[in-house]
Amino acid sequence: MTDAPTRAKGPLPQYFDDPAIDQLHSALLALAAELSVAYDRIDTLERMLERKGTLSRAEIDRFEPDEPALQERAARREALVARLLRPFRDYREHLIERAKK
Amino acid sequence: MTTARRHAMLPRPTHDERVRQAFVRSFRRHLASRVMPGNYPIYAARVEPRFRAETGRSPQAPAELRAAMERDPYYQFWSAMLRRSQELMWESVIDPAERDREALIRRARSSPKGRGKRKGSLVLDPSLPTPRYHAAADIHLQPGGYHTDFGPDDITAGAVYDSGLHLYLDGAFGVENDAMGDILLAFYRHRFPGLKPARILDMGCAIGNSTLPWGRAFPRAELHAIDVGAPVLRYGHARAEALGVPVHFSQQNAEATNFKAGSFDLIVSHIMLHETSKSALSNILRECRRLLKPGGIMLHLEIPRGTTPLEKFMYNWESYNNNETFAQFLTDADLAAIAARSGFAPDAVEMVGFAPREAGAQTLYSPKFIWTVLVGRP
Repeated sequence: MTDAPTRAKGPLPQYFDDPAIDQLHSALLALAAELSVAYDRIDTLERMLERKGTLSRAEIDRFEPDEPALQERAARREALVARLLRPFRDYREHLIERAKK
Repeated sequence: MTTARRHAMLPRPTHDERVRQAFVRSFRRHLASRVMPGNYPIYAARVEPRFRAETGRSPQAPAELRAAMERDPYYQFWSAMLRRSQELMWESVIDPAERDREALIRRARSSPKGRGKRKGSLVLDPSLPTPRYHAAADIHLQPGGYHTDFGPDDITAGAVYDSGLHLYLDGAFGVENDAMGDILLAFYRHRFPGLKPARILDMGCAIGNSTLPWGRAFPRAELHAIDVGAPVLRYGHARAEALGVPVHFSQQNAEATNFKAGSFDLIVSHIMLHETSKSALSNILRECRRLLKPGGIMLHLEIPRGTTPLEKFMYNWESYNNNETFAQFLTDADLAAIAARSGFAPDAVEMVGFAPREAGAQTLYSPKFIWTVLVGRP
Protein backbone atom coordinates (compact mmCIF):
# COMPACT_ATOMS: atom_id res chain seq x y z
CA MET A 1 0.00 0.00 0.00
CA THR A 2 1.46 3.34 -1.01
CA ASP A 3 1.66 6.28 1.34
CA ALA A 4 -0.87 9.03 0.84
CA PRO A 5 0.66 12.15 -0.74
CA THR A 6 1.05 15.23 1.44
CA ARG A 7 0.71 17.76 -1.37
CA ALA A 8 -2.62 18.57 -2.99
CA LYS A 9 -2.84 18.46 -6.77
CA GLY A 10 -3.43 21.91 -8.21
CA PRO A 11 -1.80 25.32 -8.59
CA LEU A 12 0.68 26.65 -6.02
CA PRO A 13 -0.12 30.34 -5.45
CA GLN A 14 2.65 32.85 -4.76
CA TYR A 15 1.76 35.42 -2.10
CA PHE A 16 4.85 37.59 -1.75
CA ASP A 17 6.97 39.37 -4.34
CA ASP A 18 9.86 36.99 -3.69
CA PRO A 19 8.97 33.26 -3.60
CA ALA A 20 11.68 32.77 -0.97
CA ILE A 21 9.50 34.76 1.44
CA ASP A 22 6.63 32.34 0.76
CA GLN A 23 8.87 29.44 1.74
CA LEU A 24 10.19 31.17 4.85
CA HIS A 25 6.73 32.21 5.91
CA SER A 26 5.39 28.67 5.53
CA ALA A 27 8.30 27.22 7.46
CA LEU A 28 7.83 29.77 10.22
CA LEU A 29 4.21 28.75 10.69
CA ALA A 30 5.10 25.05 10.76
CA LEU A 31 7.69 25.90 13.38
CA ALA A 32 5.08 27.75 15.44
CA ALA A 33 2.83 24.67 15.26
CA GLU A 34 5.61 22.37 16.43
CA LEU A 35 6.59 24.74 19.20
CA SER A 36 3.00 24.72 20.38
CA VAL A 37 2.97 20.89 20.29
CA ALA A 38 6.17 20.78 22.36
CA TYR A 39 4.80 23.23 24.94
CA ASP A 40 1.64 21.16 25.33
CA ARG A 41 3.66 17.96 25.68
CA ILE A 42 5.83 19.52 28.40
CA ASP A 43 2.74 20.81 30.13
CA THR A 44 1.21 17.32 30.08
CA LEU A 45 4.39 15.79 31.47
CA GLU A 46 4.84 18.28 34.27
CA ARG A 47 1.21 18.00 35.35
CA MET A 48 1.34 14.21 35.39
CA LEU A 49 4.62 14.16 37.31
CA GLU A 50 3.28 16.65 39.77
CA ARG A 51 0.08 14.65 40.21
CA LYS A 52 2.05 11.50 40.94
CA GLY A 53 4.54 13.34 43.16
CA THR A 54 7.48 11.56 41.54
CA LEU A 55 9.77 14.37 40.42
CA SER A 56 10.99 17.85 41.24
CA ARG A 57 11.98 20.42 38.64
CA ALA A 58 15.58 20.31 39.88
CA GLU A 59 15.75 16.64 38.90
CA ILE A 60 14.56 17.52 35.38
CA ASP A 61 17.31 20.11 35.10
CA ARG A 62 19.95 17.52 36.08
CA PHE A 63 18.69 14.83 33.67
CA GLU A 64 21.13 13.27 31.15
CA PRO A 65 19.61 10.98 28.46
CA ASP A 66 20.99 7.47 27.77
CA GLU A 67 21.77 6.13 24.31
CA PRO A 68 18.26 4.85 23.34
CA ALA A 69 16.78 8.16 24.48
CA LEU A 70 19.35 10.05 22.42
CA GLN A 71 18.42 8.00 19.35
CA GLU A 72 14.70 8.59 19.84
CA ARG A 73 15.34 12.29 20.17
CA ALA A 74 17.43 12.31 16.98
CA ALA A 75 14.61 10.59 15.06
CA ARG A 76 12.10 13.08 16.40
CA ARG A 77 14.29 16.02 15.41
CA GLU A 78 14.64 14.56 11.94
CA ALA A 79 10.85 14.38 11.62
CA LEU A 80 10.63 17.97 12.84
CA VAL A 81 13.08 19.15 10.20
CA ALA A 82 11.17 17.28 7.47
CA ARG A 83 7.93 18.93 8.59
CA LEU A 84 9.62 22.31 8.77
CA LEU A 85 11.16 22.06 5.31
CA ARG A 86 8.06 20.69 3.63
CA PRO A 87 7.31 23.99 1.80
CA PHE A 88 10.75 23.89 0.18
CA ARG A 89 10.14 20.31 -0.97
CA ASP A 90 6.69 21.25 -2.30
CA TYR A 91 8.15 24.21 -4.19
CA ARG A 92 10.88 22.04 -5.69
CA GLU A 93 8.28 19.47 -6.82
CA HIS A 94 6.15 22.27 -8.24
CA LEU A 95 9.14 23.58 -10.25
CA ILE A 96 9.91 20.08 -11.52
CA GLU A 97 6.28 19.52 -12.57
CA ARG A 98 6.22 22.88 -14.33
CA ALA A 99 9.46 22.09 -16.14
CA LYS A 100 7.92 18.84 -17.44
CA LYS A 101 4.97 20.66 -19.02
CA MET B 1 -13.97 24.27 22.78
CA THR B 2 -16.11 21.75 20.87
CA THR B 3 -14.56 18.29 20.74
CA ALA B 4 -15.41 15.88 17.94
CA ARG B 5 -17.63 13.05 19.16
CA ARG B 6 -15.73 9.77 19.04
CA HIS B 7 -17.12 7.01 16.87
CA ALA B 8 -15.71 3.72 15.62
CA MET B 9 -14.40 5.12 12.30
CA LEU B 10 -12.65 8.24 13.58
CA PRO B 11 -8.83 7.92 13.73
CA ARG B 12 -7.38 8.15 17.23
CA PRO B 13 -4.64 10.79 17.37
CA THR B 14 -1.76 10.50 19.82
CA HIS B 15 -1.05 13.21 22.37
CA ASP B 16 1.18 15.22 20.03
CA GLU B 17 -1.12 14.77 17.04
CA ARG B 18 -4.06 15.94 19.12
CA VAL B 19 -2.32 19.12 20.29
CA ARG B 20 -1.00 19.73 16.75
CA GLN B 21 -4.65 19.72 15.64
CA ALA B 22 -5.50 22.02 18.55
CA PHE B 23 -2.88 24.47 17.31
CA VAL B 24 -4.48 24.50 13.85
CA ARG B 25 -7.83 25.36 15.43
CA SER B 26 -6.36 28.16 17.51
CA PHE B 27 -4.44 29.52 14.55
CA ARG B 28 -7.46 29.50 12.22
CA ARG B 29 -9.71 31.01 14.88
CA HIS B 30 -7.20 33.81 15.30
CA LEU B 31 -7.00 34.37 11.53
CA ALA B 32 -10.80 34.51 11.18
CA SER B 33 -11.51 36.72 14.18
CA ARG B 34 -8.44 38.98 14.38
CA VAL B 35 -6.67 39.06 11.01
CA MET B 36 -9.36 38.63 8.31
CA PRO B 37 -11.50 41.63 9.44
CA GLY B 38 -8.47 43.91 8.87
CA ASN B 39 -8.77 43.41 5.12
CA TYR B 40 -11.89 45.61 5.09
CA PRO B 41 -10.34 48.81 6.59
CA ILE B 42 -7.09 48.17 4.68
CA TYR B 43 -9.09 48.13 1.45
CA ALA B 44 -10.90 51.34 2.31
CA ALA B 45 -7.79 53.12 3.58
CA ARG B 46 -5.22 52.31 0.91
CA VAL B 47 -6.19 49.72 -1.72
CA GLU B 48 -9.30 51.44 -3.06
CA PRO B 49 -7.72 54.97 -2.96
CA ARG B 50 -4.66 53.71 -4.84
CA PHE B 51 -6.83 52.07 -7.51
CA ARG B 52 -8.95 55.25 -7.73
CA ALA B 53 -5.83 57.41 -8.10
CA GLU B 54 -4.65 55.24 -10.98
CA THR B 55 -7.95 54.75 -12.82
CA GLY B 56 -10.35 57.43 -11.59
CA ARG B 57 -12.88 54.89 -10.32
CA SER B 58 -13.46 52.12 -7.77
CA PRO B 59 -12.64 48.52 -8.67
CA GLN B 60 -15.80 46.51 -9.43
CA ALA B 61 -15.09 43.05 -10.79
CA PRO B 62 -13.50 40.50 -8.43
CA ALA B 63 -10.56 40.20 -10.86
CA GLU B 64 -9.84 43.95 -10.48
CA LEU B 65 -10.00 43.70 -6.71
CA ARG B 66 -7.79 40.66 -6.80
CA ALA B 67 -5.07 42.48 -8.74
CA ALA B 68 -5.30 45.46 -6.38
CA MET B 69 -5.43 43.48 -3.12
CA GLU B 70 -2.65 41.08 -4.03
CA ARG B 71 -0.25 44.04 -4.13
CA ASP B 72 -1.07 44.89 -0.51
CA PRO B 73 1.24 43.44 2.19
CA TYR B 74 -1.57 43.04 4.74
CA TYR B 75 -3.67 40.98 2.36
CA GLN B 76 -0.58 39.06 1.27
CA PHE B 77 0.16 38.01 4.85
CA TRP B 78 -3.43 37.07 5.72
CA SER B 79 -3.83 35.13 2.49
CA ALA B 80 -0.51 33.28 2.86
CA MET B 81 -1.34 32.40 6.46
CA LEU B 82 -4.82 31.12 5.61
CA ARG B 83 -3.41 28.94 2.82
CA ARG B 84 -0.73 27.63 5.16
CA SER B 85 -3.27 26.92 7.91
CA GLN B 86 -5.23 24.79 5.44
CA GLU B 87 -2.11 22.77 4.59
CA LEU B 88 -1.21 22.37 8.27
CA MET B 89 -4.79 21.28 8.95
CA TRP B 90 -4.56 18.32 6.53
CA GLU B 91 -1.03 17.49 7.68
CA SER B 92 -2.24 17.30 11.28
CA VAL B 93 -4.96 14.75 10.49
CA ILE B 94 -3.17 12.65 7.84
CA ASP B 95 -0.69 11.06 10.27
CA PRO B 96 -3.30 9.46 12.59
CA ALA B 97 -5.46 8.45 9.59
CA GLU B 98 -2.49 6.68 7.97
CA ARG B 99 -1.57 4.86 11.17
CA ASP B 100 -5.15 3.67 11.81
CA ARG B 101 -5.87 2.97 8.13
CA GLU B 102 -5.64 -0.84 8.17
CA ALA B 103 -7.79 -1.15 11.29
CA LEU B 104 -10.39 1.25 9.88
CA ILE B 105 -10.48 -0.62 6.55
CA ARG B 106 -11.10 -3.88 8.44
CA ARG B 107 -13.87 -2.20 10.42
CA ALA B 108 -15.45 -0.80 7.25
CA ARG B 109 -15.29 -4.21 5.53
CA SER B 110 -17.21 -5.79 8.40
CA SER B 111 -19.94 -3.12 8.36
CA PRO B 112 -23.35 -4.55 7.43
CA LYS B 113 -23.89 -4.41 3.67
CA GLY B 114 -27.36 -5.91 3.39
CA ARG B 115 -30.60 -4.09 2.71
CA GLY B 116 -32.19 -5.22 5.96
CA LYS B 117 -34.98 -3.20 7.47
CA ARG B 118 -32.89 -1.08 9.82
CA LYS B 119 -29.54 -1.23 8.02
CA GLY B 120 -28.07 0.94 5.34
CA SER B 121 -26.18 -0.28 2.29
CA LEU B 122 -23.21 0.51 0.06
CA VAL B 123 -23.05 0.08 -3.71
CA LEU B 124 -19.84 1.10 -5.48
CA ASP B 125 -19.32 1.49 -9.22
CA PRO B 126 -15.62 1.18 -10.14
CA SER B 127 -16.49 2.03 -13.76
CA LEU B 128 -17.83 5.48 -12.84
CA PRO B 129 -15.51 8.15 -14.31
CA THR B 130 -14.16 10.74 -11.85
CA PRO B 131 -15.43 14.09 -13.14
CA ARG B 132 -12.78 16.58 -14.23
CA TYR B 133 -13.89 19.00 -11.49
CA HIS B 134 -12.59 16.47 -8.96
CA ALA B 135 -9.61 15.11 -10.88
CA ALA B 136 -8.03 18.36 -12.12
CA ALA B 137 -7.15 19.74 -8.68
CA ASP B 138 -7.61 18.37 -5.16
CA ILE B 139 -10.63 20.23 -3.73
CA HIS B 140 -9.83 22.18 -0.51
CA LEU B 141 -6.17 21.06 -0.87
CA GLN B 142 -6.96 17.68 0.68
CA PRO B 143 -4.11 15.57 -0.78
CA GLY B 144 -5.63 13.05 -3.17
CA GLY B 145 -9.01 14.78 -3.02
CA TYR B 146 -12.16 12.87 -2.11
CA HIS B 147 -11.80 10.29 -4.84
CA THR B 148 -8.31 8.72 -4.65
CA ASP B 149 -7.88 5.18 -3.33
CA PHE B 150 -4.40 4.65 -1.86
CA GLY B 151 -4.97 0.88 -1.71
CA PRO B 152 -7.75 -1.74 -1.88
CA ASP B 153 -10.99 -0.84 -0.07
CA ASP B 154 -9.42 2.44 1.04
CA ILE B 155 -11.15 4.80 3.47
CA THR B 156 -8.29 7.29 4.01
CA ALA B 157 -9.96 10.20 2.19
CA GLY B 158 -13.03 9.81 4.42
CA ALA B 159 -11.05 9.54 7.66
CA VAL B 160 -8.93 12.57 6.74
CA TYR B 161 -11.98 14.60 5.72
CA ASP B 162 -13.97 13.75 8.89
CA SER B 163 -11.02 14.74 11.10
CA GLY B 164 -10.10 17.85 9.10
CA LEU B 165 -13.60 19.25 8.74
CA HIS B 166 -13.85 19.55 12.50
CA LEU B 167 -10.74 21.76 12.54
CA TYR B 168 -11.73 23.86 9.50
CA LEU B 169 -14.13 26.15 11.39
CA ASP B 170 -12.90 25.47 14.92
CA GLY B 171 -15.62 22.89 15.57
CA ALA B 172 -18.47 25.06 14.27
CA PHE B 173 -19.70 22.16 12.11
CA GLY B 174 -20.72 20.43 15.35
CA VAL B 175 -19.50 17.39 17.27
CA GLU B 176 -20.53 15.11 14.36
CA ASN B 177 -19.77 17.64 11.59
CA ASP B 178 -23.50 17.69 10.90
CA ALA B 179 -24.39 21.39 11.33
CA MET B 180 -25.09 21.93 7.63
CA GLY B 181 -27.62 19.10 7.65
CA ASP B 182 -29.19 20.63 10.77
CA ILE B 183 -29.32 24.08 9.15
CA LEU B 184 -31.00 22.85 5.95
CA LEU B 185 -33.35 20.68 8.02
CA ALA B 186 -34.32 23.75 10.07
CA PHE B 187 -34.99 25.63 6.83
CA TYR B 188 -37.12 22.75 5.50
CA ARG B 189 -39.23 22.59 8.67
CA HIS B 190 -39.63 26.35 8.78
CA ARG B 191 -40.59 26.59 5.12
CA PHE B 192 -42.63 23.38 4.78
CA PRO B 193 -44.01 22.62 8.26
CA GLY B 194 -45.50 19.18 8.84
CA LEU B 195 -44.11 17.47 5.75
CA LYS B 196 -42.77 13.92 6.19
CA PRO B 197 -40.81 12.78 3.11
CA ALA B 198 -40.91 9.03 2.44
CA ARG B 199 -37.86 8.96 0.14
CA ILE B 200 -34.93 11.36 0.48
CA LEU B 201 -31.80 11.78 -1.67
CA ASP B 202 -28.64 13.62 -0.54
CA MET B 203 -26.38 14.54 -3.49
CA GLY B 204 -22.61 14.95 -3.13
CA CYS B 205 -22.78 13.44 0.35
CA ALA B 206 -19.01 12.75 0.84
CA ILE B 207 -18.84 10.99 4.26
CA GLY B 208 -22.58 11.51 4.88
CA ASN B 209 -21.95 13.96 7.71
CA SER B 210 -24.81 16.22 6.54
CA THR B 211 -26.94 13.22 5.56
CA LEU B 212 -27.42 11.80 9.05
CA PRO B 213 -29.60 14.62 10.47
CA TRP B 214 -32.19 13.78 7.77
CA GLY B 215 -32.21 10.12 8.84
CA ARG B 216 -32.59 11.08 12.49
CA ALA B 217 -35.38 13.58 11.73
CA PHE B 218 -37.31 11.15 9.50
CA PRO B 219 -36.50 7.65 10.79
CA ARG B 220 -39.23 6.03 8.67
CA ALA B 221 -37.94 7.56 5.42
CA GLU B 222 -35.77 5.65 2.93
CA LEU B 223 -32.61 7.74 2.83
CA HIS B 224 -30.22 7.61 -0.14
CA ALA B 225 -26.87 9.38 -0.46
CA ILE B 226 -24.63 9.56 -3.54
CA ASP B 227 -21.13 10.76 -4.32
CA VAL B 228 -18.48 10.14 -6.98
CA GLY B 229 -15.72 9.30 -4.47
CA ALA B 230 -15.36 5.62 -3.43
CA PRO B 231 -13.15 6.12 -0.32
CA VAL B 232 -15.50 8.71 1.20
CA LEU B 233 -18.50 6.45 0.53
CA ARG B 234 -16.89 3.37 2.14
CA TYR B 235 -16.01 5.50 5.13
CA GLY B 236 -19.41 7.20 5.18
CA HIS B 237 -21.27 3.90 5.12
CA ALA B 238 -19.25 2.44 8.01
CA ARG B 239 -19.57 5.75 9.87
CA ALA B 240 -23.36 5.85 9.46
CA GLU B 241 -23.65 2.26 10.73
CA ALA B 242 -21.39 3.12 13.69
CA LEU B 243 -23.63 6.09 14.49
CA GLY B 244 -26.77 4.00 14.04
CA VAL B 245 -28.41 5.80 11.10
CA PRO B 246 -29.41 3.61 8.11
CA VAL B 247 -28.39 5.25 4.82
CA HIS B 248 -28.20 3.70 1.34
CA PHE B 249 -24.94 4.96 -0.12
CA SER B 250 -24.14 4.53 -3.80
CA GLN B 251 -21.32 5.74 -6.02
CA GLN B 252 -23.07 7.87 -8.60
CA ASN B 253 -22.64 11.18 -10.37
CA ALA B 254 -25.53 13.54 -9.53
CA GLU B 255 -25.53 14.69 -13.17
CA ALA B 256 -27.00 11.33 -14.26
CA THR B 257 -28.12 8.78 -11.67
CA ASN B 258 -29.66 5.35 -12.08
CA PHE B 259 -32.73 6.16 -9.98
CA LYS B 260 -36.09 5.99 -11.73
CA ALA B 261 -37.89 9.23 -12.63
CA GLY B 262 -40.10 10.48 -9.81
CA SER B 263 -38.19 8.59 -7.10
CA PHE B 264 -37.92 11.17 -4.35
CA ASP B 265 -40.08 13.43 -2.16
CA LEU B 266 -37.04 15.44 -1.13
CA ILE B 267 -33.64 16.03 -2.76
CA VAL B 268 -30.99 17.93 -0.80
CA SER B 269 -27.35 18.92 -1.14
CA HIS B 270 -25.03 20.71 1.26
CA ILE B 271 -22.58 23.16 -0.35
CA MET B 272 -22.05 20.84 -3.31
CA LEU B 273 -23.09 22.96 -6.31
CA HIS B 274 -20.07 25.29 -6.17
CA GLU B 275 -17.68 22.31 -6.37
CA THR B 276 -18.95 21.23 -9.81
CA SER B 277 -18.81 22.99 -13.20
CA LYS B 278 -21.03 25.08 -15.44
CA SER B 279 -22.30 22.12 -17.46
CA ALA B 280 -22.48 19.83 -14.40
CA LEU B 281 -24.54 22.39 -12.46
CA SER B 282 -27.14 22.48 -15.21
CA ASN B 283 -27.10 18.68 -15.57
CA ILE B 284 -27.57 18.21 -11.80
CA LEU B 285 -30.56 20.55 -11.68
CA ARG B 286 -32.10 18.80 -14.70
CA GLU B 287 -31.56 15.45 -12.94
CA CYS B 288 -33.22 16.79 -9.77
CA ARG B 289 -36.25 17.79 -11.81
CA ARG B 290 -36.43 14.27 -13.27
CA LEU B 291 -36.04 12.54 -9.89
CA LEU B 292 -38.64 14.55 -7.96
CA LYS B 293 -42.09 13.08 -7.37
CA PRO B 294 -45.01 15.40 -8.12
CA GLY B 295 -45.16 17.72 -5.10
CA GLY B 296 -41.55 16.90 -4.19
CA ILE B 297 -39.04 19.49 -3.04
CA MET B 298 -35.43 20.27 -4.00
CA LEU B 299 -33.17 22.12 -1.54
CA HIS B 300 -29.53 23.01 -2.26
CA LEU B 301 -27.66 24.73 0.56
CA GLU B 302 -25.03 27.14 -0.73
CA ILE B 303 -22.45 29.58 0.57
CA PRO B 304 -23.20 33.27 -0.05
CA ARG B 305 -20.92 35.00 -2.54
CA GLY B 306 -21.02 38.51 -1.08
CA THR B 307 -22.97 41.70 -1.78
CA THR B 308 -20.30 44.43 -2.07
CA PRO B 309 -17.42 44.19 -4.61
CA LEU B 310 -14.96 43.59 -1.73
CA GLU B 311 -17.09 40.84 -0.18
CA LYS B 312 -17.47 39.16 -3.57
CA PHE B 313 -13.70 39.19 -3.95
CA MET B 314 -13.16 37.88 -0.40
CA TYR B 315 -15.54 34.94 -0.92
CA ASN B 316 -13.55 34.04 -4.02
CA TRP B 317 -10.48 33.42 -1.86
CA GLU B 318 -11.29 29.71 -1.91
CA SER B 319 -11.23 29.73 -5.72
CA TYR B 320 -7.89 31.51 -5.93
CA ASN B 321 -6.17 29.63 -3.09
CA ASN B 322 -8.07 26.51 -2.03
CA ASN B 323 -8.88 24.68 -5.29
CA GLU B 324 -12.56 25.65 -5.37
CA THR B 325 -12.07 26.27 -9.05
CA PHE B 326 -15.71 26.70 -10.03
CA ALA B 327 -17.00 28.67 -7.02
CA GLN B 328 -15.85 32.06 -8.41
CA PHE B 329 -18.13 31.65 -11.42
CA LEU B 330 -21.15 31.63 -9.10
CA THR B 331 -20.48 35.24 -8.05
CA ASP B 332 -23.58 37.15 -9.16
CA ALA B 333 -24.97 33.95 -10.70
CA ASP B 334 -28.74 33.54 -10.42
CA LEU B 335 -29.14 29.88 -9.43
CA ALA B 336 -32.90 30.12 -9.80
CA ALA B 337 -32.50 31.32 -13.39
CA ILE B 338 -30.07 28.47 -14.09
CA ALA B 339 -32.62 26.03 -12.61
CA ALA B 340 -35.30 27.59 -14.83
CA ARG B 341 -33.07 26.98 -17.87
CA SER B 342 -32.56 23.39 -16.64
CA GLY B 343 -36.14 22.19 -16.70
CA PHE B 344 -37.86 23.87 -13.75
CA ALA B 345 -40.77 26.24 -14.25
CA PRO B 346 -39.49 29.78 -13.58
CA ASP B 347 -42.09 30.35 -10.84
CA ALA B 348 -41.23 27.00 -9.16
CA VAL B 349 -37.64 27.93 -8.19
CA GLU B 350 -36.20 30.63 -5.97
CA MET B 351 -33.07 31.55 -4.05
CA VAL B 352 -33.67 32.28 -0.37
CA GLY B 353 -31.29 33.72 2.22
CA PHE B 354 -31.32 31.88 5.54
CA ALA B 355 -29.65 32.98 8.79
CA PRO B 356 -30.37 30.38 11.49
CA ARG B 357 -30.14 31.46 15.10
CA GLU B 358 -27.90 28.50 15.89
CA ALA B 359 -24.21 28.86 15.01
CA GLY B 360 -22.51 26.92 12.25
CA ALA B 361 -21.97 30.12 10.33
CA GLN B 362 -18.54 30.66 8.87
CA THR B 363 -16.87 34.03 9.21
CA LEU B 364 -13.68 33.37 7.27
CA TYR B 365 -14.34 36.06 4.65
CA SER B 366 -16.93 38.49 5.96
CA PRO B 367 -18.15 39.54 9.42
CA LYS B 368 -21.70 38.31 8.79
CA PHE B 369 -22.79 35.08 7.18
CA ILE B 370 -26.14 34.20 5.60
CA TRP B 371 -26.69 30.85 3.91
CA THR B 372 -28.31 30.61 0.49
CA VAL B 373 -30.89 27.94 -0.32
CA LEU B 374 -32.00 27.11 -3.86
CA VAL B 375 -35.58 25.86 -3.53
CA GLY B 376 -37.34 24.07 -6.37
CA ARG B 377 -40.53 22.14 -7.01
CA PRO B 378 -41.34 20.14 -10.13
